[in-house]
Amino acid sequence: MKKVIVIGLDGFEPKLVELLFDRGELPHLAKLKAQGGYARLRTTYPAQTPVAWSTFATGTNPGGHGIFDFIRRDPKTYLPDLSFNRYEQKNAFVPPKAVNLRRGETIWERLSQAGIPSVVLRFPCTYPPDKIRGRMLSGMGVPDLRGGLGTATFFTSISDIDAQEGEQVITVAPTPDNRIETFLPGPIDPKTKTQSRFALHVQFDPAKRTASIRSDGNPAALELREREWSDWLHVKFKLGLFRSLRGMVRLYLIRTAPHFELYVSPINFEPEAPLFDISSPADYATELNQKLGAFHTAGMPEDHNGLDNGRFNEDAYLNQCNLVFDERQRMMLYELNRFDEGFFYCLFDSPDRLAHMFWRFGDSQTPRNDSNSPHFSEVIRDHYRHCDALIGEVMRFADNRTLFIVCSDHGMNSFERGFHLNTWLHDQDLLTLKRGLTPGEAEGDFLRHVDWDRTKAYALGLSGIYLNLKGREERGCVSANETASLKTAIANQLTGLGDAERNRLAIRNVLTREQVYSGAYADESPDLLVNFAEGYRMSWTTTLGGIPAGHFEDNHKKWSGDHIIDPALVPGVLLMNQPFAKPSGLPNLVDMAPTILAALGVNPSPAMEGVSLLS
Amino acid sequence: MKILVIGLDAAVPELLFGDEKLTNIRRLMEAGSYGRLESIIPPITVPAWMCMATSQDPGSLGVYGFRNRSDRSYNGLGFVNSKSVQELSIWDQIAREGKRSVIIGVPPSFPPRKVNGICVGCFLTPDTNTDNYTHPAAVRDQIRELVGEYPVDVKGFRTNNKAWLLDEIYAMSLKHFQNVRHWLRNSDWDYFHFVEIGLDRLQHGFWKFHDSRHVLHDPGNEFAEVIREYYRYLDTELGSILELLDEETVVGVASDHGAQRLDGGFCVNEWLVREGLLVLNEYPKQITPFSQLSVNWDKTKVWSEGGYYARVFFNVRGREPNGVIAPADYEKFRDDFKARLEATTDETGRALGTMVFRPQEIYRHVRNVAPDLIVHFGGLYWRSIGGVGYNSIHVQENDTGPDDCNHSQFGSFILAGNGLPAVGEVSGVHLMDLAPTLLEIGGYDIPASMQGRSLIGGMPQIETGFAPDGEELIRQRLSGLGYI
Repeated sequence: MKKVIVIGLDGFEPKLVELLFDRGELPHLAKLKAQGGYARLRTTYPAQTPVAWSTFATGTNPGGHGIFDFIRRDPKTYLPDLSFNRYEQKNAFVPPKAVNLRRGETIWERLSQAGIPSVVLRFPCTYPPDKIRGRMLSGMGVPDLRGGLGTATFFTSISDIDAQEGEQVITVAPTPDNRIETFLPGPIDPKTKTQSRFALHVQFDPAKRTASIRSDGNPAALELREREWSDWLHVKFKLGLFRSLRGMVRLYLIRTAPHFELYVSPINFEPEAPLFDISSPADYATELNQKLGAFHTAGMPEDHNGLDNGRFNEDAYLNQCNLVFDERQRMMLYELNRFDEGFFYCLFDSPDRLAHMFWRFGDSQTPRNDSNSPHFSEVIRDHYRHCDALIGEVMRFADNRTLFIVCSDHGMNSFERGFHLNTWLHDQDLLTLKRGLTPGEAEGDFLRHVDWDRTKAYALGLSGIYLNLKGREERGCVSANETASLKTAIANQLTGLGDAERNRLAIRNVLTREQVYSGAYADESPDLLVNFAEGYRMSWTTTLGGIPAGHFEDNHKKWSGDHIIDPALVPGVLLMNQPFAKPSGLPNLVDMAPTILAALGVNPSPAMEGVSLLS
Repeated sequence: MKILVIGLDAAVPELLFGDEKLTNIRRLMEAGSYGRLESIIPPITVPAWMCMATSQDPGSLGVYGFRNRSDRSYNGLGFVNSKSVQELSIWDQIAREGKRSVIIGVPPSFPPRKVNGICVGCFLTPDTNTDNYTHPAAVRDQIRELVGEYPVDVKGFRTNNKAWLLDEIYAMSLKHFQNVRHWLRNSDWDYFHFVEIGLDRLQHGFWKFHDSRHVLHDPGNEFAEVIREYYRYLDTELGSILELLDEETVVGVASDHGAQRLDGGFCVNEWLVREGLLVLNEYPKQITPFSQLSVNWDKTKVWSEGGYYARVFFNVRGREPNGVIAPADYEKFRDDFKARLEATTDETGRALGTMVFRPQEIYRHVRNVAPDLIVHFGGLYWRSIGGVGYNSIHVQENDTGPDDCNHSQFGSFILAGNGLPAVGEVSGVHLMDLAPTLLEIGGYDIPASMQGRSLIGGMPQIETGFAPDGEELIRQRLSGLGYI
């Protein structure tokens, strides 16, 4: 083969695909299936995007690449942090440097060594970008200009509105003639330690339901209409005398009457002047910007928080997902048009992003049952059909010397009930709170009220339990010879755990690190891995070390679809234009790297665990 | 505490501080103090770097330029070398206290200085293939192993072959920085000082493309951006150097002078002939360097050497072999003549704004054979042409080859390090202030011979940096993830 083209459809769920196949509604994917085949694709422990795609890239279990969860923890502080990357600063004179925490040897690194080029668009955990032969645009992991994965700004004329997850609220006071002087808050100025500001002058018209924003940005005047996403506003934050940071936002005018409400997206890095490199070569992002216009650079561009927090409605979110999808498609076609050898990859994350937020419309099981809103019940399936059309476009580029692969990293399921794992550990006398506090009284997250000298296990992140291990954790009190029996005891107690209130199975099983991980970084993983049953997940507060009262709670959020359950329940999909087979069992994500390398005539890395699926 | 001085020959404050794309420079500026760095008179590479290292003025060093009169004869000028400067330098003081230095390319450093540590010769090294230009000698072999042939300069940088020049400068600088990084990593040092000469050469070669006010400016030329781009290149090299430093290192960035456009050449000896002060036996039929002119020394009162500035010499009775100016008339003659120089004009009769200096007034000591006057024609927007035969006082071409810029009086400095306050811009800093400042920072004694002042006393203590506490930072980083 001369070319391998991979289209990643994040969270593309096999049961939905199979249903739509039966109805004949995915003609292009069906054609691909006929050419080569279709299979469910085994995902990683746990079934999370950064973990699964990193396994795709490296051909190893997570022990070989070091990404085990969205969240990692520092055993010295017991604090959670993002698992994909971190910033290092060696001394006061060097700028902080982004460091990718995904390790192992990737497909594109292996190919680069063999002299074969790759084009990799928006692959998760490619920030900072790898230096490769070819071109790479970073994906999940790229922050916004404020340093988070996405912090939006909500402007409102109603006072006393509290900020919710992932947003900052600015209260504005319109004049009688409907003018507002306000500002967009930016990154922290290291000198003054205050948030930098970008001045916005708003003039709105409640009769016409429009607003005009004047600023020192580009364009100088931006016209907004209610319930429409604006084009990009390019902004600049002055930090000190010489330094300024550039970014860009899209605005969504929610309403002009009876109150003024304006939503401004997280501040994306400017492709031509990112705070940290987001492409390889470094000016590749500039090239895309010049050829195709500005594009979302943040790793997770879809504003699910805006919808979850009730700032805007489903239509606004859907429109935004479509903007991102269309922009990605243009980028993909631009590259495919000049792609003539090597490896091509482009990720579409919208199937995952839409399913998380719209699952409730199609599933009467979810506590937040919105299935009586027929308007949105077809959104996910529509999007699958939309993705099918996209695949049809790509097929034009797959000649007889091309291996064409469509796959997803995991599937999707409903998220009905959250499990307070830390509270459960407390109730088993494995986690002790300070001063005799009880769960629920101990407010806040970050495990802040835990008495570490009398705690044997704690949960952080979306899947894992850590032992409070002597010599590893700062105040560890579990000795090495106690570890095995403690892990077995916890696993046994949690396996088959039921939710008495619902009379349902909540946890299918719990596995030890040794049962699932091997490789150079396996010792960074959680000690135990919880595999939830369908409908269950780690509760919202548990992920960051909260310890609320009770063991279960209903999930009332609009975020109603999820996939962080037993990986056996949420496999991804795999379609290829060449016949493929796995001698035993389902094809697995670890097989993808050897398959792609084999197609291009390159041997797999010694660490790669899977096999080529090509016959 | 370790000290690293990054010398960028001719780095212009406006260009170094004014480009926000120089992110590593910005980082240093934000972390410490920076500003214009007043150079010596004349602002010339030799002796400026050694004035910085010894904290002494040119008169005290007895070195007034690349070339100096070695005696009172008319036999022209001799070139300086490293032996011309014997005064106590910052690395000598550091060696006295038992610490080691690495000195790379700090002019003049050929023959190589026998420092306590390593010395690599500067651009005055005739030939790195055949000359021993390093101390210890074995360092030469290691450099060759590392980068192959090691260029100390771009020979013939005054050329019209600009594409070639640009390639040569980058090829040279890449090797220089590779070499610097090697010794930063692989040698034992307490003080490290290197000078990159490429920037000076580039500015001389390309200034007219860069500066719209240059008389030969050619808008939209393909070389319009090469100077700015080279500053950005230097910034990336700086970034890779900073990566190698530990938290205990203080970093200084400094230039020996700035650069500015050259409006033309003032033919100083031609002018002296017209003024009747320089008498030739025969006016040359073609352009002739001063050293090849037939001078009637019995009737000549004044002559001058050319260059970026002029060194003017008086023919004084009892001092020069055929002296004509009576010693008793010397000061009166000098005052009158200084006024005539200051009144020099351009072709249209407009005053050039020429600055004329008496060595005794600007230097603490006047050693060796000093010029009688030092002249900055047109505030150094004009250079001094020593040859005769132009039949004109003002020329556009340069007698030593194409050259677009002259030096300016102010270079640049940045000083930053753990424990040093983030002061921001500081004015009034002189090149001679750096050595005492660095010695004080390093906890060394400051030799009494040093003329500059340490800046440390003058720096306000300001708290630096922003570090949100752990939890705040984590919340910031996780904001917007979903799932949590």
